[in-house]
Amino acid sequence: LRGCSAGSAPSASSLWLLTADQLGYTPTLTQTPSLEAVTTASTFVLEQPRCVFDSYGNADIWLVVALAKATSTFNNTARPGTPETAYQLFPGSVSAYMTLNATLANYPCPKPAGEITVLRVGSETSCAGDEARPTCNGPLPNPGPYRVKFLALQGSEPVAETVWSESITLRTAEPPSSISTTGKGHSAGMIAITTILSILFAILLAGLVAML
Amino acid sequence: MAKSEDCVHILQGLLVFGNVVIGMCGIALTAECIYVVSNPNGLYPLLKATENDINAAAWIGIFVGLALFALSILGIIGVIKASRTLLMVYIILMLITFAFEMASCITAATHQDSVTPELFLKQMLERYQKSDPANNNDNEFTKTWDELMLQNHCCGVLGPSDWQKYTSVFRLTHNDADYPWPRKCCVLDAHGLPVNLDGCKLGVSGYYNSNGCYDAISGPVNTHAWGVAWFGFAILCWTFCVLLGTMFYWSGIEY
Repeated sequence: LRGCSAGSAPSASSLWLLTADQLGYTPTLTQTPSLEAVTTASTFVLEQPRCVFDSYGNADIWLVVALAKATSTFNNTARPGTPETAYQLFPGSVSAYMTLNATLANYPCPKPAGEITVLRVGSETSCAGDEARPTCNGPLPNPGPYRVKFLALQGSEPVAETVWSESITLRTAEPPSSISTTGKGHSAGMIAITTILSILFAILLAGLVAML
Repeated sequence: MAKSEDCVHILQGLLVFGNVVIGMCGIALTAECIYVVSNPNGLYPLLKATENDINAAAWIGIFVGLALFALSILGIIGVIKASRTLLMVYIILMLITFAFEMASCITAATHQDSVTPELFLKQMLERYQKSDPANNNDNEFTKTWDELMLQNHCCGVLGPSDWQKYTSVFRLTHNDADYPWPRKCCVLDAHGLPVNLDGCKLGVSGYYNSNGCYDAISGPVNTHAWGVAWFGFAILCWTFCVLLGTMFYWSGIEY
């Protein structure tokens, strides 16, 4: 009965070993301060999970990034650093990867006022193609949508997890040929100049003909 | 008859005065158009690709200005000497000059209409940092944009999001995660390096330029076009009156 979902009925006495604690925290994109690049074409910026994992001082806190439609198939027993959760195989053969390893020391509570504390998902470009670094925080390959959650592992056992985030969709870039430069037509000034000058010129020509 | 003589003298005086004003305005027009042609804001590489070239209107304006000055002198001599041939030559040449200046005004006014953000946006996306060593125009284009963004503390045409909303030649050589927008959009220190590179990449206000450059471009461009178009129009209206008066005077001269 070593299941990975919390759906099983609480009958076994060692249940607390089988399922991780569900924390009520939902990962969100950074709201304050407002960042222009909170989502780009291949990255997004999350709030750090401060004051969330305080009871799990010895755990490694991982970020799980999954395709939005694949959150139900993710198994908490998946281990980071294995091909099942490798960034380089996402989204081809794996539908979720684990990255941004941290401990409670990285997320001290409470957050000091005035500091900008964010997690930028997709910032490591140097290891994006390096299969020896499966926990690379590489750029996301397509606009998504994605959902993320934080998972705390002690040893190799999951001890706590957050709720899955809302669906995050990244920006799609259009080609510049889609910009229409046909212009807003002629302005009143230009029409006025053309009309008045044409009339004046016509009068002068008429005057010249009359003289001759 | 004394009254008729007085009328003729008054008309002569008015025509001489009119020609003096035309002469001075001609010089002013030449000076203004030379200023426009001399590319004072360094923005000419950005405008080269537009269809209605403000420079064409300005070049015509230079020569028209000089022609107006020369013809005004001819006109003054013709009016004082009351010579039918001189005035006929004056009138015909003035009409030709009038036609050229008309073309210049209309070109300048149409150019002003074509200056839109979309025009510059499309050009910037297609040519900024187009790394083609053979093509000198694109290097000049990139340098102009870099200078513009540096001096005016701006980024893109409407804002840094231009680089996110659209794909570009820049995006082909600079990946999105490391370069959401060019480095020149970051606030730079005295050595030309970003003050806070991560802050710039995230878009934290204070570490990157969040304004678009369109105002910095369209301001000078519109002023130049406005100057050439409307000053030329004013001169032509005045010239029209003087020419009508000259035709009337000519028809009153006896052989």
